[in-house]
Amino acid sequence: MSTILKIFVFPAAMVIMCLGVLTILGGHITPGGGFQGGSMIAAGFIFCLIVYGLKESPFHLSHDFLAAIESIGALGFVLLGVAGLIFSGFYLYNLGVDLYGIIPTFLKNIFDYPDPIHAGIIPYLNFVVGLKVMVGLSAVVITFLGFREFEENQEEAQE
Amino acid sequence: MIIYPGPLILGFLLGFVLGTRIKENPQSKLKFDASVYVVFLIVALIVAYFLGPLPYYVDAPLASGFVACAVGIIFGKLLFGRNLTPSQIKE
Repeated sequence: MSTILKIFVFPAAMVIMCLGVLTILGGHITPGGGFQGGSMIAAGFIFCLIVYGLKESPFHLSHDFLAAIESIGALGFVLLGVAGLIFSGFYLYNLGVDLYGIIPTFLKNIFDYPDPIHAGIIPYLNFVVGLKVMVGLSAVVITFLGFREFEENQEEAQE
Repeated sequence: MIIYPGPLILGFLLGFVLGTRIKENPQSKLKFDASVYVVFLIVALIVAYFLGPLPYYVDAPLASGFVACAVGIIFGKLLFGRNLTPSQIKE
């Protein structure tokens, strides 16, 4: 890749990631959400991976990190759903809003999202979905690049 | 001035996680020093100002979650974003 791209892409990728985070954070009031924001963050990673390559990319996503974040995302979603099931009897009940008025006020305050909308658990669900999508899409590209390097190494060894 | 902690905390957290992943390869010819992060922060502030606050937010004239994420990336890089060790490069 050209030198201009190598200078430009790393800061640009960070700005793209910030836009992705903003998309996740605004998921309950603007178009977007966890999947779209997570895809944008992954796009920042992929941008770096394509321009710098797997070894020289400034963003290093190890297997352990990918596994941990994927698990945190999935577990977070399930736990928020189970919390609704335990306290209200409905899976994924929005404990922070409590439309049916069936849970104690202190629980409502715990699950409340502190912003002008008070959307309850929706922003938290967006957050965990964003984490999961971010590492999921990045892992696909990392795997493809890894296979390509592996194939190239094998061809060199055969020659 | 009203402060909404929700987007600030979640934005910082996500940014921090991303920042901890910035690990440069010492064997690489590419070097990203402090100037890259200063430029990034300035650009992030300008972009956040032109994005404006999210709908219904009246906390600041800029996108607070965006700025929190940018600050989180830099904090993550400073605290955990160390260079790769030879064993990590082999992996």
